[in-house]
Amino acid sequence: MDAYFYIILVVGLLSSGICLVAGILKKAPNDVTIVSVAAVELALLVYLVGSIVRVSAGEHMAGEAWEFWGYLATALLLPVAAVYWSILERTRWSNFVLAAVGVTALVMAARMNQIWY
Amino acid sequence: MEEARTVKSRPEKSDPLKSHSQATPGQTPVPAKDTRNTGPGRLLIAVYAVFAISATARAGYQILSKFSEAPLAYLLSAFAALVYVVATVSLAKPGRTWFKVSVTAVLVELIGVLVVGALSIFDSVQFPHETVWSLFGRGYAFIPLVLPILGLVWLYRRRPEKRPLSPEG
Repeated sequence: MDAYFYIILVVGLLSSGICLVAGILKKAPNDVTIVSVAAVELALLVYLVGSIVRVSAGEHMAGEAWEFWGYLATALLLPVAAVYWSILERTRWSNFVLAAVGVTALVMAARMNQIWY
Repeated sequence: MEEARTVKSRPEKSDPLKSHSQATPGQTPVPAKDTRNTGPGRLLIAVYAVFAISATARAGYQILSKFSEAPLAYLLSAFAALVYVVATVSLAKPGRTWFKVSVTAVLVELIGVLVVGALSIFDSVQFPHETVWSLFGRGYAFIPLVLPILGLVWLYRRRPEKRPLSPEG
C-alpha cells in the first residue's frame, strides 16, 4: 500500500463518516457532506495525476494496465454521480448514497494498489 | 450493518414527495405510490449499481482473459453481473411490471448467493475461482448476502396495491 492509498483511506473514511452521521441525523445533503465527497474526488485525482507521472517516468505496474485504469476511471465517476444524484433528491437518504462513495473509493484504491504492485 | 437499521427506521418529514407509506384510506393510490426509487430505495439502487458495474467489469475481464481456467465459475460471474444489472434497472423503474421484474431479480440473487456460497464451500474443485457470490460474498464484505434481503424488505414495503382490494373511485 502506498501513500495514494492512505490518502484515500483517510479522506474516504472521513467523508463516509460525515455523510453517515448527517444521514442518521436526518439531514438533507448540505455543503459539508458534498464537500467531503468532493475531497474524495480530489484524492482520486491526485492518484490519477501521480499514476500518470509514474507511468511516463518509466515505472511498470505488475498487473494489467487497462484493469488499473479501468478501476481508476470508474472510481473517478462515482463521486460525480453520487453528488448529481444527491442534488436531484435532497433527502437524508442521499446522504447515505454519498456515504457509500468514500468506502467504495477506498476498496477500489486497495484493488488498484494490488494491481500496481 | 448500518443500512439494515436505517432502512427500518420510520419515514422522514423532509421528503415532500412522500405521499405514500401510509396509504390514505378512501383515496385511490396515485401513480407515485408505485415507485421504488425514492428514499431508501435510492440507496439500494446506488449499491446495486455499484455491484452491477463491478460485477460486469470483473466478469468481462475474467471471460476475456482467462475463461478456460474455470468456465463454470466465470459464466456464473457473468450471470451474477446480469442479475445485478436487471435488479438495478428494475428497481429504478416505476410500475407493476418492473416490480415483478425486481422481485424476480432479487430472488434469483438471493438463491444465487446461497447456492453458490454453499457450493463454493463444499465443491471447491468446480468453484476454485472467485465470483461475486463465492463464500456468500465474503470478498465483498458479505454485501451480496445482505443486499437481496434488504431488497426484498424494501420491495415488500413498496408492493403495488392489490387491484381487487383497492376501493373503486
